[in-house]
Amino acid sequence: MDNHSPVPMIELRHVEKYYGDLHVLQDISLSVRRGEVVVIIGPSGSGKSTLCRSINRLETIDSGEILLEGNPIPQEGKKLAELRAQIGMVFQSFNLFAHMSVLDNITLAPVEVLKKGRKEAREEALQLLERVGVRDQADKVPAQLSGGQQQRAAIARSLAMHPKVMLFDEPTSALDPEMIQEVLNVIAELAKEGMTMLIVTHEMNFARRVADRVIFMDGGQIVEENTPDCFFSDPASQRARDFLHSLHAE
Amino acid sequence: MGFTDLLSKYGAQYFQALLTTWRLTAISFAGAFIIGILITVARVSPIRPLRIFGDIYVQIFRNIPGAALLILLVYALPYLQIVFPYDVCVTVATILIPSAFCSEHLMSGMNTISPGQIEAARSLGLTFLQMIRRIIIPQALRSSVLPMTNLLVATMLTTSLASQVPMRPRDLTGIVSYINTHDTGGVTAFVISAVLYCLTAFAIGKAGSLVDRKVRILR
Repeated sequence: MDNHSPVPMIELRHVEKYYGDLHVLQDISLSVRRGEVVVIIGPSGSGKSTLCRSINRLETIDSGEILLEGNPIPQEGKKLAELRAQIGMVFQSFNLFAHMSVLDNITLAPVEVLKKGRKEAREEALQLLERVGVRDQADKVPAQLSGGQQQRAAIARSLAMHPKVMLFDEPTSALDPEMIQEVLNVIAELAKEGMTMLIVTHEMNFARRVADRVIFMDGGQIVEENTPDCFFSDPASQRARDFLHSLHAE
Repeated sequence: MGFTDLLSKYGAQYFQALLTTWRLTAISFAGAFIIGILITVARVSPIRPLRIFGDIYVQIFRNIPGAALLILLVYALPYLQIVFPYDVCVTVATILIPSAFCSEHLMSGMNTISPGQIEAARSLGLTFLQMIRRIIIPQALRSSVLPMTNLLVATMLTTSLASQVPMRPRDLTGIVSYINTHDTGGVTAFVISAVLYCLTAFAIGKAGSLVDRKVRILR
């Protein structure tokens, strides 16, 4: 290992994955430094969600290696659960626990996994809800909240675990347009505070604003890695140019 | 004998039989409920032999007639030098069969949980058992109150198996056989028990809907 650079927060080495005959991840190598915000964009079916989900092993990979702070992701069991607890994940469809209040959604994992006291967990949860702007919804169940509120609560739920890194898998794709911004603002705020993040999104303006680096995927491959400014104004690859062009044509 | 004669002569015994049926029902349902949950956990566990065991268990006890199971317990086991008292045999039979149905209801209750919630629980670092205890079983239970209410009624009716063995005190069906072998109660003797079964079932049904309305999960 190169001793001159610190260990990356996340590192993927030659990751391959197939769905049957479909080669969804093709020789993916990628690293995310501590405090870096990496945005993955690309057409649907390009493998970007699969890549994001493989990092905490919600998707298994067929070969290659995925490392968190230099340690390989365990295969299963308690070790895997411990690793997942260090990686926050925010989903497209929020996935709050339907039978619990918003507050209980947030305190559940800190109490069960981190063995925090109920009172302490509760206080911290309320602070987090305040931070994402849904403190007044704490006692409602998820179905009583708007999509934007649910997603912000889901972000708070991840933050309550004090993750080393946050993964966002199309966090605004299921939202009505007027709610997208409130969620993006929360994520942008996290970026400003130095959270290490890997974000899969279709929101190009947002990507340009928060990304330290943009990764463009197509057909299971990383086609281009670039700074946001270069990528959006003068992409290096033809496929990225075509993709961005197709967005503007809408 | 008419209604009044029957009630004046056997009223106290009917009452005791009703209590016996209630007691059997409560014990059987509680046992079925606990075993049903355990079997369900086995059926969704990451350990394959446990899953297979759970599935086989359900297939056996869902598909065996109660009377056949009771006869096996009462009259076949003694050949293996295993002799249980009659009430134990009845209780075991009326636990095993409803427990299989309980597990089936929980499995369908689980299907109401979106897979995304399970992924969220995993990504938060919850272990399988934590997930079972805090996410899966609570939602499966709250989504299956109405089928469980039916199961409670069915369990009560299954306890009439007690009448097939010389168990004391007699249950609501057993008392009818007793009266009709000692007296001429006829159909009326059955009707009295039937009414008591119906009233109990009605109360169970009402309570079930109340509970369902209270715990149903807003989606």
